[in-house]
Amino acid sequence: MKQIGILLFLISFSAFSQEGKKEGIVQYERTTFWTNIVTRLTYLSAEEKDRVKLTWGSSDEGWKQKMTLAFNENQSLYMQGEDNAEQGWAGRKETFFLTKNFATEHSTDYIDLLGKTYMVDDSLHAPNWKILNQIKEVAGYICMKAVTVDTVKKQTITAWFAQDIPVQAGPERYFGLPGLILELDINDGDVTIIANKVEFKKLTNEFNLKKIKGKKISDAEYNKIIADFIKESIKGFRNPYWGLRY
Amino acid sequence: MFKSFVLSIILLSSYVAIGQNRVQIHGKLVDTSGHPLSQATVMLLVPKDSSLVNFGRANDQGIFEFKNVKRQPYIFKASYVSYVPLQMDVKPDQEASIDLGALMMKPISKELFEVVVRTAKAPLSIRGDTIEYNAASFKVPPGATVEDLLRKLPGMEIEADGSIRAQGQTVKKVTVDGRSFFGSDPKLATKNIAADAIQKVQVFNGKTEAAKVTGIDDGKKEKTINLELKESHKKGGFGKITGGIATEGRKEVKGNYNKFDAKNQLSLIGLGNNTNQSGMSFDDYQDFRGSQAFSWGNEADFGFTGNGRYFSFDDGDDQMGIPIGGRRDGFSKNYSGGANYNYDTKKTKFSSNYYFNQSERIIDKISSTQRFFQEKTQNSADTTSQRTFSGNHRMSMRYEKSIDTLNTLILISNGKLSFGNADQNSRIFQQLLVQNNLNPRQTKLLNGSEQQSFTIQNTAIFRHKFAKNGRSFSASAGYNYANSDGSSTQKSLSQFLSATTLRDSIQAIDQLTNNFSKKTQIKSSLFFVEPLSKAFFWESFFNTSFQSNRLNRDLFDRGSSSLETRNDSLSRYYDNNLTYNRLGSSIRYSKDGVNVTVGLAAQQFNLTGDFRKSASAPNLANIDLNYFAWIPKVGVDLELKNNRYLFFSYDKSVQEPSIRDLQPIVDNSNPLFLRVGNPNLLPSLNHSISSGFNLFDAANFLNLYTNLSYNYNVNQVVYNQSINSNGVVLTKPLNISGGESYVGYFGFGFPLKKTISTMNINADFNLAKNPLFLNDVLSNTNTNAGNLGARISFTPNDRITFYMNARFGLNNTSYDKSALPEQTIRNTQFGSELTVNFGKNTFLSYNLDYKVYENKTRGLYQEMPILNVSVFKYLGKAQKSEIRLTVYDVFKKNLGVNQFAFQNFVSFEKTQTLSQYVMLSYTYNMRGLSSPIRKR
Repeated sequence: MKQIGILLFLISFSAFSQEGKKEGIVQYERTTFWTNIVTRLTYLSAEEKDRVKLTWGSSDEGWKQKMTLAFNENQSLYMQGEDNAEQGWAGRKETFFLTKNFATEHSTDYIDLLGKTYMVDDSLHAPNWKILNQIKEVAGYICMKAVTVDTVKKQTITAWFAQDIPVQAGPERYFGLPGLILELDINDGDVTIIANKVEFKKLTNEFNLKKIKGKKISDAEYNKIIADFIKESIKGFRNPYWGLRY
Repeated sequence: MFKSFVLSIILLSSYVAIGQNRVQIHGKLVDTSGHPLSQATVMLLVPKDSSLVNFGRANDQGIFEFKNVKRQPYIFKASYVSYVPLQMDVKPDQEASIDLGALMMKPISKELFEVVVRTAKAPLSIRGDTIEYNAASFKVPPGATVEDLLRKLPGMEIEADGSIRAQGQTVKKVTVDGRSFFGSDPKLATKNIAADAIQKVQVFNGKTEAAKVTGIDDGKKEKTINLELKESHKKGGFGKITGGIATEGRKEVKGNYNKFDAKNQLSLIGLGNNTNQSGMSFDDYQDFRGSQAFSWGNEADFGFTGNGRYFSFDDGDDQMGIPIGGRRDGFSKNYSGGANYNYDTKKTKFSSNYYFNQSERIIDKISSTQRFFQEKTQNSADTTSQRTFSGNHRMSMRYEKSIDTLNTLILISNGKLSFGNADQNSRIFQQLLVQNNLNPRQTKLLNGSEQQSFTIQNTAIFRHKFAKNGRSFSASAGYNYANSDGSSTQKSLSQFLSATTLRDSIQAIDQLTNNFSKKTQIKSSLFFVEPLSKAFFWESFFNTSFQSNRLNRDLFDRGSSSLETRNDSLSRYYDNNLTYNRLGSSIRYSKDGVNVTVGLAAQQFNLTGDFRKSASAPNLANIDLNYFAWIPKVGVDLELKNNRYLFFSYDKSVQEPSIRDLQPIVDNSNPLFLRVGNPNLLPSLNHSISSGFNLFDAANFLNLYTNLSYNYNVNQVVYNQSINSNGVVLTKPLNISGGESYVGYFGFGFPLKKTISTMNINADFNLAKNPLFLNDVLSNTNTNAGNLGARISFTPNDRITFYMNARFGLNNTSYDKSALPEQTIRNTQFGSELTVNFGKNTFLSYNLDYKVYENKTRGLYQEMPILNVSVFKYLGKAQKSEIRLTVYDVFKKNLGVNQFAFQNFVSFEKTQTLSQYVMLSYTYNMRGLSSPIRKR
């Protein structure tokens, strides 16, 4: 019923909205701080955690990846951007295409997960956002803070959404705020996804994906695979996030 | 449009049905002068936890409307760029619709908005009437106080007397983390607290003291500033100390301490023992070096971009780096200690350390060697007693400066000062077999040496990135210097028991040698990368090096009355210069997991040298060697789907001959085995082809590593041997081509039962053909060696861990042109390890290592079961102390055993080594002891 309420609202107000700020492409930089992630592993002793912090902590500038989000009022496509290989090595791009359709309330995500390609196909399940009274600037836009919790990976999620881009799209599997999400912070800075460029333009074929084969599963099945793997890895003294997107 | 129309109908009908529980909320948003705020964001939140349930936008007239929402209390929230977000409670009663009326939003003060949000990019938090922001975003000079910080913040004024005004009103009170700071004078806090200790500054209107006391809100508000201190989680310190005493007079003590914060790391380490532990453990090394434990970007000799990167660590006393590990045969007393300091910021990284170690070692060993020539066989049984002492001072410094985003400078300097001495006392029994004639003899050796050396290596690296993405340039320069000064005495008496004359039957040597060597090297490298497209890169490099070596050796014969006469035939003064240039270029393709490099380099060496009998004597020979080689390179590195990697490479490498091999001197420290250098050696060349496949399957906890390589040698430096009629062996390095080897490795790890038991299997082989000259006849030694190993771990819970492993090694060596029969050597090893937690923090563990050494051909066999057992207990609530009782080598069987079959000889060697002792030790660890007993 909640979704329907939102939809109704969108329909009733779409006529008044600023047409120019509803369609375009966002470039994000996704930075992974492995030191933070490793020191959260419950099976490490205090001494081992200190050793990780001491050795890697002060020079951890994060592992950087470019991501792009094509958006308009009704849909979005989030995927890996073009990295350049000046460091002497180019890694393989994994299958990672997240598509959301806000008009039909449907989500289809193509994800390489633990050696298999899946098509996570389900209706949209917006996270339970809490809106906080904080504002800051991201990529030139004034954003407001919202938080939620990833109950599967047990992570706190902080999103900063633009007050004046009336689109409910966002990076990773997050969406459903009154404005476009320009910054996402996973678990107190373990991973940050920060927009560095927002470009408004009429999109033509940007939402088109070439056909990807993948086993069709639901959100619940996807979450179960992740939850089981994390549980098993921690029990086996392995870092689950070497094989899993954080 | 039709779709939404249908949808609206459906929604409308559902509204009618459940209309009683639904409500409509509407209103209008305006600014302070009554103008509508068009497109303002409006939200409905649940009061309990601010959960978002509905949102939308106001229209161009600032009018908003929530239709058909559930009848329940809400927080209505509106936000608009550069306005303070508005928040109010909405409690629907029975009405069908609620009109919130015209709601006025206040602008955020322009100063706050422009300075804090736009310029400092600090988040602004609004809590009712409090606006707070992150003070860390404001730049103040180091050592500044909070007063200096406040002066920078928008809306703050500091009067001449230090009193503070915030938004025009006098601040009555400053609190730190919400608490009063030394009474009510606000200046006390602001003048005394360092600005860089502050995380946040909050300004709000607090109730007056009077209102707080009486509990009656008089409506008067006081401006209060709260300073929130930075969290101190980045600060830390840890350390541990262990001391133990044991039977047989054994004892050990070791300790380390580390203190660090976000920028500084200081660590101290020390150890002393007579239990054969000469270096620190790898974990201790990592703690000691901190952020510099794995440092990359120190490579100054640029070349082809390789397949992958690796780190290297030093484990010997000969190396420049700090020694790690090392449990060696014999008996040794070891002391070491050092300090390391790192300073790390984004722009500047500095690291320096000092480390001292010394080791006194006693080695008593017996060895038996068989050395085969075409018609002669030499059997030798040696008993050696050796005492060595070595000490090293090491210092290193590294400085890295990011001058700006495009330019980086790195300076590295490593120095080492070493001193040592050794005494050796050997007794050698030899039999020389010549066509069934046995010539026995006996030699006694008494050698001594003393040496001091100094080495310093300096490197500067400069990196520049161009504005064009991917284009970069690097340059490096290096200066290395090493000298060594030493003296040695050789005293030996050989008796040829089958000789017919007295003159032939006894040979005595009593010599004193003074050695001096000096090495200076200047080098420089350049590297340039030009991106040709998004995936193609053109890389070029140039290396140049000039090296000058001097070696002076003065040998004196000592007569009966300790009169020293210079021996001109064994003394040498040798100088050489080695110039080296390499110019190379390659094209690299890197895209989407495909990385291919193809390149070619031209490499040129020039070696000039001369040697004389003494400083002023005429040259005996002048050496002038030129050498040129083309060096091709092919590298293919593929990342396939699902963490599978495939790689292939072809490399050709050129290695200049070592100074030790070039020096034209005779080393007669063992008069039965003479070594001589060869100043005419050419650089050796190696062709190498290797390929491999790796796989990591995270989901199934599987991993697989395989690789296969082939090497072919041209001008390989081989120590050739010849034997004279007296049975004295002379070995001399010569260049030989044709040596080759095939090397393979296979490793597979998989769970027997996930999270509980894992099995690892590995196998390797090495098939090699090594040519050598035996009495000037080319002969080949074929070695076929292989190992097969398996390891099982069993970790059912956190109370028990069990590991078991086995390894079988087989080495088959055959000789195509010598009398030596084919040799089959077997090394077998079984290991088992168990740790049990009995509860109450009491543990039992054992470690069994059972080795069998066997040479079938010669009938040699040695078994060595080594069992260590320990009981330990963690003490105290925080488990910071551990007390441990260990029995080392329960069966008293420890020995150092080595066996080889190589070239034209086989040998078997046993060294007396530290055996059984019982040790009681105590450990204190500041951070508590690690409770999981599982290995990683």
